[in-house]
Amino acid sequence: MEISTGRRIGLAIRKYYMAYLFILGPVVLTMVFLFIPMISSFAFSLTEWSGIQPPKFIGLANYQRLIFHDRKFIKSFINTTIFVILGQGSGPVFGLLSALALNQRVRFRAAFRTAYFLPVMTSLVVVATIWKMLYNENGLVNFLLKMVGLPTTRWLMNPSTALLSIIVTSVWQGFGFETVIFLAALQAIPKELYEAAMIDGANAWNRFRHVTLPSLRPVIVMIYIIGIIGTYQVFDQIYVMTGGGPLNNSQSIVGYLYDNFHYMKFGYASAVAYILFAILALFSYLQMRFLGREE
Amino acid sequence: MKKLLVLLGVGLVVALVACAAPATPVPPTATPPTEVTTITFWDYYGLAATPFTPEMIAAFEKENPSIKVKYESLDWDAMFEKLSVALTTGTPPDVATVDMTWVPTWASLGGFTDLGPLSGGKVNGAPFNEAFTAGALEAMTYEGKVVTLIEDFDVYCLYYRSDLFEEKGLEVPTTWDELVEVGQELAEDTDGDGAPDKYLYGYWPDAFRWSQFLYENGGSILNPENTEAIFNSPEGVEATQFFVDMVNEYHIAFDIGEEEAIPGIKDGRIAMFSDGPYMMGVIKDGAPELEGKWKVAPHPYSKQPGSYLGGTGLVIPVRAANKEAAWKFIEFAMRLENAIGVYKYSGAAPGLKAALESPEVSVRDPYFGDQVTLPVFLEATETARHFPYVRQWNEMYDIIGEGVTAALLEEKTVQQALDDAVAEINALLAE
Amino acid sequence: MMKLVGRTGLYLALIASSIAMLVPFYWMLTTSFKLEGDVFAYPPEWIPQPATILHYVEVWTSLPFARFLFNSLFVAAMVTLSNVFFCTLAGYAFGKLKFPGRDKIFFLLLLTLMVPFQVNLIPLYKLMDLFKWLDTYWALIVPSATSVFGIYLMRQYILSIPDEILDSARVDGCSEFGIFWRVVAPLSLPGVATLAIFTFMGSWTAFLWPMIVTGSMNMRTLPVGIALLQEYHTTNWTQIMAGSTIAALPMIIVFLFMQRQFIEGLTAGAVKR
Repeated sequence: MEISTGRRIGLAIRKYYMAYLFILGPVVLTMVFLFIPMISSFAFSLTEWSGIQPPKFIGLANYQRLIFHDRKFIKSFINTTIFVILGQGSGPVFGLLSALALNQRVRFRAAFRTAYFLPVMTSLVVVATIWKMLYNENGLVNFLLKMVGLPTTRWLMNPSTALLSIIVTSVWQGFGFETVIFLAALQAIPKELYEAAMIDGANAWNRFRHVTLPSLRPVIVMIYIIGIIGTYQVFDQIYVMTGGGPLNNSQSIVGYLYDNFHYMKFGYASAVAYILFAILALFSYLQMRFLGREE
Repeated sequence: MKKLLVLLGVGLVVALVACAAPATPVPPTATPPTEVTTITFWDYYGLAATPFTPEMIAAFEKENPSIKVKYESLDWDAMFEKLSVALTTGTPPDVATVDMTWVPTWASLGGFTDLGPLSGGKVNGAPFNEAFTAGALEAMTYEGKVVTLIEDFDVYCLYYRSDLFEEKGLEVPTTWDELVEVGQELAEDTDGDGAPDKYLYGYWPDAFRWSQFLYENGGSILNPENTEAIFNSPEGVEATQFFVDMVNEYHIAFDIGEEEAIPGIKDGRIAMFSDGPYMMGVIKDGAPELEGKWKVAPHPYSKQPGSYLGGTGLVIPVRAANKEAAWKFIEFAMRLENAIGVYKYSGAAPGLKAALESPEVSVRDPYFGDQVTLPVFLEATETARHFPYVRQWNEMYDIIGEGVTAALLEEKTVQQALDDAVAEINALLAE
Repeated sequence: MMKLVGRTGLYLALIASSIAMLVPFYWMLTTSFKLEGDVFAYPPEWIPQPATILHYVEVWTSLPFARFLFNSLFVAAMVTLSNVFFCTLAGYAFGKLKFPGRDKIFFLLLLTLMVPFQVNLIPLYKLMDLFKWLDTYWALIVPSATSVFGIYLMRQYILSIPDEILDSARVDGCSEFGIFWRVVAPLSLPGVATLAIFTFMGSWTAFLWPMIVTGSMNMRTLPVGIALLQEYHTTNWTQIMAGSTIAALPMIIVFLFMQRQFIEGLTAGAVKR
């Protein structure tokens, strides 16, 4: 197709100008409602600010304090990391398993899918409140455990079990999301690949290893990246179920940030956020380096 | 990259400039009678306050046609969150109810208006020291300035199942030893696991309850100058040891857990607990079937009666826009009939002295076996102490709670738990 | 034979796990009909005896629930519409158009996903104060009118549209916006359905920001309204469960109806390939 140079240039200019126009809305909105607050709160992280009195510039003192002297911050970081490892270790696995199951020719697929996805659609606060009831000393969880002779405890009030209990609730609530995504991805794998593998004499496990998993790789990567970044910011369910206790054993990083709001230490709280940001940014960078372009 | 740096730089400057706004009090304006001022009023009595509060507001607006009240009803948690945020900006509410335990942190940061000049030292014509008891006045004052008026006060007394006491021929305990005796008589093991689970003393391992035992044993949270934590003294250790022993040694008490007070009261797990006048309203609403089975009494003590002193205060944030109108509203809320109304709709004890002495609140309460309940709480205020008025109180509260919980769960010995908490708090106070 | 055992096992596993997903909801529902004292009765009551609808009545009359419902619906609808529009447009631009700074700007946008929302609470609140948007629909809608995650999602989806289709439309003389409107948009409908559901869900269940930014009764959304049912040192479990059931229902209905499009959306794009 031959087009004149003039028309080509005209098209190019038009192309850029329209592109900028297309992204104008989101960019302006993000600038005003995300960037400016972010810059503002980053500035506060360099100050000591009670909110009522004017802020006092103290450089990186907040950061130093948090990383080297703040026992509670370190604890919240460890708690959150455990949360991420256990949560992201099990959630996507359940998601994949359930998706594989649903991908077989089963009847009532839509009903099962709805069951898995129902918790995902429910507010975290509602889910956390319901589970708070279930974890009660006289609640359903202990009742069922007793029936099968397993030990019971006050799940949310026991410092050793509080965090774990919340993780169970979170995974219950969230894995349906992965189920749906994996199911869609599984159904996108061309049948020919499986047929070819079967002709080659591959059994079910090998088919899974050599056809399914590689095809799912981009989806798995995406789920993990989103999952890790998101789970590091966990807050709602902990706030509702334990408030971070007992003994700060279930406190998350963002939960600790929020506590500092109550102490009227807004500069300190902001520093917590930006340490988290630095960690997540580092993580994204590493992931990009070693796993290729972030798709 | 360069662009990003410039952006960051500009943003930083903008942010610092915008937030360096000094806290200048708004000079009172002389509003011409025809202009309407709107004041914002936040309260946390929540649903319990309807229809009383809207009616009171309507009456106020009628009497003051140039003032309109925008009313926002919040729950206790939301109030804390929202006020924390609102106090940092230029448009906080004009009047708000605050828990007295929030006053130390916010008052120390200069968040509240000094009501002295605004009021001329009087409320509805009565000087402050006549309108309020000495204890209340002291609680309302921070560094010599009156920063809040107490709308209701909170002090802890013993709530007990009078019907069970009668059944078993028990006397109301007045000492800790008697408390243990009575507790052991009452407690029952109904699920056969060897540990009593019914008719216990219910508590929460937080500063509110623990401090009662601390004060009763002659201990103190901070030294008189508020510079050092001293609750790991022998008296403090003894008190804390008894507090946790109630659960771990004597098996007469248990940790209720959040939000389980009413279910625990209803199903009989709780036969005794320590709480404030507000709880009278809560228990009547939540457990009407137990009418006539409860009574209140002074809390048993080892050396001297003691309790925390708190309550609800009305404040005018320092950046409020309409302080004169706000003060008018506060005065209206502190009128005798409205102060008495506080007792009527919430069971809380009114802060105004005249209301406390009014026969309308000294009534026999059928729910409490026709006992006249308010005077019991009133007496307790004479020996009650409010929490230390230091900026770091909110954080100290958490640290104390963690320490007491650690001792209760036997993660640390009592001495160790208290020592650690004291060390942490001293570091905090030194900042 | 093996196949039969296998299939039975499969169904058993599916049924068992589905039950595990549904039991907590069953509990929420039945609790809302129980008497307050029975909430923690032991052994737990599977069927409320006695049952009562009192709590629904209480909740509906003591709070302007209808208004809360309307607010949540209105805000969620507006946020969803605006997100669908902005994110699809921007997703297309970042995915298929070439322009200077494209990748850098996109990267900057992605950075915002790594900052927890809570830290921006105070500056955002001040902004709302500045714009005089406190306690208005503006504060509830505009800051959420677009989402970086949404842009990311749509970009992912649109990337899969073959370039040839776009190029030929361009050569045919179609305007840029025309290409978007007539070619890209229809092809991205499945992705749009997904975006719409997630956005609606996020807006419907948002709690912290609406709580901070609204105060008067008639501006509250459902989650904030339900929080009012909490009282000092005591939780009215039955009332809160009643309120939560009311709040959860619309989402469930929306999903049940849109489920087919939603799932079709996730799969249709794939099958087409």
